[in-house]
Amino acid sequence: MRIIVFELSNIFIIQPINYAVENVCILGAGSTKYGKLNESIIEIALSASVDAIESAGISPTDIKAGYISNVFGVADKQVHIAPVIMSNLGISHVPGLTIESACGSGSVMFREAFANIRAGFYDCVLALGVEKITHTGTTQSTTLFSYCSDFFYEGGNGASFPGLFASIARAYMTKYKADEEDLANVAVKNHENGLLNPKAHMRKKITVEDVLNSPVVASPLKLYDCCPFSDGASALILCNENFAKKSGKPYIQVIGSGRGGSQAAVQGRKDISTIPGTVIAANQAYQMAGILPKDVDFAEVHDCFTIAEIIDVEDLGFFKKGKAAREIRDGATSRKGKIPINPSGGLKSKGHPIGATGIGQIVEVFEQFSGQAGERTIKDAEIALTHNFGATGASAAVHIFKKVN
Amino acid sequence: MTKTNHSAVREKFIESARDSKILAKKCDDCNTIRIATVLYCENCHGSKYNLLEYPGIGYVNTFTIHTVPPEGFEDVDGYAWVVFTLDDVSIRASGFLPGIKKPADLPIGSKVKVTGFDAKHGLVLKKI
Repeated sequence: MRIIVFELSNIFIIQPINYAVENVCILGAGSTKYGKLNESIIEIALSASVDAIESAGISPTDIKAGYISNVFGVADKQVHIAPVIMSNLGISHVPGLTIESACGSGSVMFREAFANIRAGFYDCVLALGVEKITHTGTTQSTTLFSYCSDFFYEGGNGASFPGLFASIARAYMTKYKADEEDLANVAVKNHENGLLNPKAHMRKKITVEDVLNSPVVASPLKLYDCCPFSDGASALILCNENFAKKSGKPYIQVIGSGRGGSQAAVQGRKDISTIPGTVIAANQAYQMAGILPKDVDFAEVHDCFTIAEIIDVEDLGFFKKGKAAREIRDGATSRKGKIPINPSGGLKSKGHPIGATGIGQIVEVFEQFSGQAGERTIKDAEIALTHNFGATGASAAVHIFKKVN
Repeated sequence: MTKTNHSAVREKFIESARDSKILAKKCDDCNTIRIATVLYCENCHGSKYNLLEYPGIGYVNTFTIHTVPPEGFEDVDGYAWVVFTLDDVSIRASGFLPGIKKPADLPIGSKVKVTGFDAKHGLVLKKI
């Protein structure tokens, strides 16, 4: 243990800092509804933060640092969001950090919050993801998202994000003889789950025929193969185990954390039907947790497009390469299947406010493990995994959680 | 052995594309060939290389046709974004292929050729 002394408002405080490895827990979670929201980016961010603080039963003064993920704050005239959030929570002296990693911003940011608790720098932090984009309209949103690609080779040559995943889908379908109905099955399953989530953006039951008959966005992907552009904010309170135990509140434990990267441009990948960053991150997380894919009871994965979920569940080791489409068709990933995937509705139905998504996935785990998931509760689940990536998987993160009884 | 100012590599890549070629780097240490804009060898991480130009002719690995294109491409009457492998070396590039309106127009494996680099649409391809 090391003692440091610092000055705050002319009062010298002696604070012990323990640099030993700490167990990391989640003590509270909060989220706005995902969808088209009228409030400003700061208002929705604060709403989720206050929900998380109240859920944890703490005061803002317990928060020693704030980690904020956001991508397109500029579209709502607010960048440098972290200190604005800290100031509005009445803790302007608390350091904040804003992190951007495209659609993976939330999980990448969560990893930094996790690492700082684990290293003993802080005993309690806020991890907040937020996005406000729907007011820009489809064309501008599509364009802004294309800036998350390797623009010289992709966005600059006319590839939108649906287009990039469509090209990945075509490569996968060619290699493994999958078809458009296989993609549609993912959308149907996730919309069914989203119907049970009061905070989901797209609460609408759909059929395979609805998906196949929806307009083509970028062949072979159709409208219902794509997640919506969403606004929303999700927040978590992370703390060390000592802090969690002292609170007397229910908490869950983070037992695995992994980060991986892939070639930013799809053209640079040896195999377009897999996302290397997912595989790297998953291996790290499984190793840290000391478990295998078969030990996971449910997972929230990055289904920005239907093809992404098919590739994810293979890259995460739940199914062999090329076999996921058949397993999904047979119900293996439904809420009562052998490995339920996206009980929240996933990005596809719950929505995809890109700065918030990775945190929203963990909010779902917290709600599942703390008896707040209602009808979408996965019975007897004790181990859960979240998987989130930026762009076409260029930056990926996997986290594993354990229910604490 | 060549040492290039990295900020100039993209300009060189564009110049090559305007000449219907793809600019690549051959690693001096392990002979691995990579697209020119990647600074270090991905195999041995070496920084020494020779710049090589290959004919911009290859075959389609995958593609998509956009119905909802991003800004700057709305005025194009049908195009594909294509990932292709060069015939002469196993490296991939990607580009803009106008005139493709339906998937049947571009079976996987179709031959394409780089025809230029357009300020508005990037690396331009033609089906051959």
